[in-house]
Amino acid sequence: MKISVPRNSFSTLAPFLAVVVVVLMFQIYAPDQPMTFQTWQFVAAQTVVVGLAAVGMTWVIISAGIDLSVGSVIALSGVSAALAVEAGWGAVGGVLAGVATGAICGAYNGILIVGLRLPPFIATLGTMGFYRGVAKWVAANESVRPEDADGLSFTAGIADWIQPVAEGQWLAPAAWLLLATTILGAWALRWTVLGRHTVAIGSNELTARLCGVRIGQSKVSIYALAGLLAGLAGVMLFGRLTVGDPTSAVGIELDVIAAVVIGGASLAGGQGSVTGALAGALLMSVLRNRCTAVGWPNFVQEIIVGHIIILAVAIDQWRIRRTNR
Amino acid sequence: MPIPSLYRWFSGLFLTLLVGGCTSEVGSATPRIAVIPKGTSHEFWKSIHAGAEKARQEIGGFEVVWRGPERENDKSQQVDLVQNFVASGISAIVIAPADDRALASPIAAAHRGGIPVVVIDSGVQGIPGSDYASYIATDNVEGGRIAARRMQELTGGKGRVLVLRYQEGSGSTTQREQGFIEVLSAVDGIEVVDPGRYAGSTRESARDAAENLLEADSDYAGIYCSNESATFGMLLALRAREMAGKVFLVGFDASDGLIEGMRAGHIHGLVVQDPVAMGELGVKTALAVLRGEKVETLVDTGAKLVTGENIDEPQIRDLLSPPLKKYLGE
Repeated sequence: MKISVPRNSFSTLAPFLAVVVVVLMFQIYAPDQPMTFQTWQFVAAQTVVVGLAAVGMTWVIISAGIDLSVGSVIALSGVSAALAVEAGWGAVGGVLAGVATGAICGAYNGILIVGLRLPPFIATLGTMGFYRGVAKWVAANESVRPEDADGLSFTAGIADWIQPVAEGQWLAPAAWLLLATTILGAWALRWTVLGRHTVAIGSNELTARLCGVRIGQSKVSIYALAGLLAGLAGVMLFGRLTVGDPTSAVGIELDVIAAVVIGGASLAGGQGSVTGALAGALLMSVLRNRCTAVGWPNFVQEIIVGHIIILAVAIDQWRIRRTNR
Repeated sequence: MPIPSLYRWFSGLFLTLLVGGCTSEVGSATPRIAVIPKGTSHEFWKSIHAGAEKARQEIGGFEVVWRGPERENDKSQQVDLVQNFVASGISAIVIAPADDRALASPIAAAHRGGIPVVVIDSGVQGIPGSDYASYIATDNVEGGRIAARRMQELTGGKGRVLVLRYQEGSGSTTQREQGFIEVLSAVDGIEVVDPGRYAGSTRESARDAAENLLEADSDYAGIYCSNESATFGMLLALRAREMAGKVFLVGFDASDGLIEGMRAGHIHGLVVQDPVAMGELGVKTALAVLRGEKVETLVDTGAKLVTGENIDEPQIRDLLSPPLKKYLGE
């Protein structure tokens, strides 16, 4: 059985290199609009939601799966967190509610995929609508907005965790959380049993089965983990919006998948990098910010991001062919 | 199921549909009026629903069928809804078209086929009176002008004013931006900054867009956003930069979050529409057409400016938080 985790430092570094190249190119194009430290603070906060979900999505994609329901899970978890805060459970209660909701949704995805033997694409396509519907239902079709005694928006302090700029703060706490989660996710992929099994399943499911990997159990765990991280992303989204909005995060699954793919993952499975996915998410935030800074309209940015996804995969394919020759 | 029984089942279904269609035409059954919004989860659409129910409770003798696409602004699903309602023998349709072209032919087909269609909220291509019965909406260009006049008053006619647009291809908000820019471009002391950036459809995309715009340049006397989510995203971005209250923010539409922002002095003007009136007039007009009465082909339900000063007036309060519970019984 061939296990192919990123084989050299290039795979891990390339997406970060791309971020640096993009920043430098914009620096040359518009020297009067530099990336200041404060710009990075904002970009970091903007990367959190997609970044957290991308860590879990990397695991799923490495196992040769996909999770299309991630946007709906983020929205539903955000609503859960908002409802918990509204019920007076505080910040801890809000986080637990959001994360638990995400983990349950993820586990259900896994159970459908394993139990009914559905292709992950179909199973999560179905639950994408399911979870979105539940989010609208529990939120009674409108945003959940917890209030304090003065009628102001109240998030039990969760909003402060993802505030881009604050006194005595280097990066938003949520950005540190994203960094820690990424490092932990990358470490666990390399050094834990579940991590090794994830790569093994994605490389060759049949071989993995013959080698004694419990496929079903592992898959449910992988999807539950991805759901848990999407739940955490949902809590952060609640903090960012100060409301639990059941119609938010629509289409965000494509941003998350794009981040993972830019980060060097193969949709065929067996290959991918958690740190790369972080760089992929960061690259998209940086591009959005830079295109605004130099005054380009939205469509230019969409054209550029589209090509970066294509280019990232093309370069990776070319590199793999060359090393395999 | 053997073939003869299947055949019988289908012919039975066909007959039922046929009879159902006939009775509604004869008028022996209660008329059913379908109301099709662009979405169902925003408070705006709930207000239209409340207006439709209000009309039903006031007049009575007919049924309101409320059905929107699952996804906000889903054009193709709206087309399906119109066609399904026509096939099911509905009496009349009131619709807020998600697209001014895609919905044009199904609407015209229904109307010419004898099922009166009243268009509300957003326009559709065609001639009122022959392709559809009537168009009932806010004059959005005028709404933009109202916002612009408020901005001029706030800034004293001096300084740079930023425009954060809502979304490409959205008719009503483009008109609001157009009306706003049209008025302020004519003011000598004001420089309208329109970088062509769009907030996107959700609040988080609006916050990202607003943060990035302010990071690139934050030297503005005033900022204008053309819908609820864009205004809310901008409000959050201004608060994150501790600029809220220092820049004049004028927005469109209302929500709890925006009203709180206005009370805190962070929002200085909101142009609001009257969706309850839109739903009510839509249904009443459809009913009038069914009764063979003559109706206005163009109705403006008006836009009002809400400021920190008039926010507690009863008339404004009803616009800001329509009595949804009273009519929808939630």
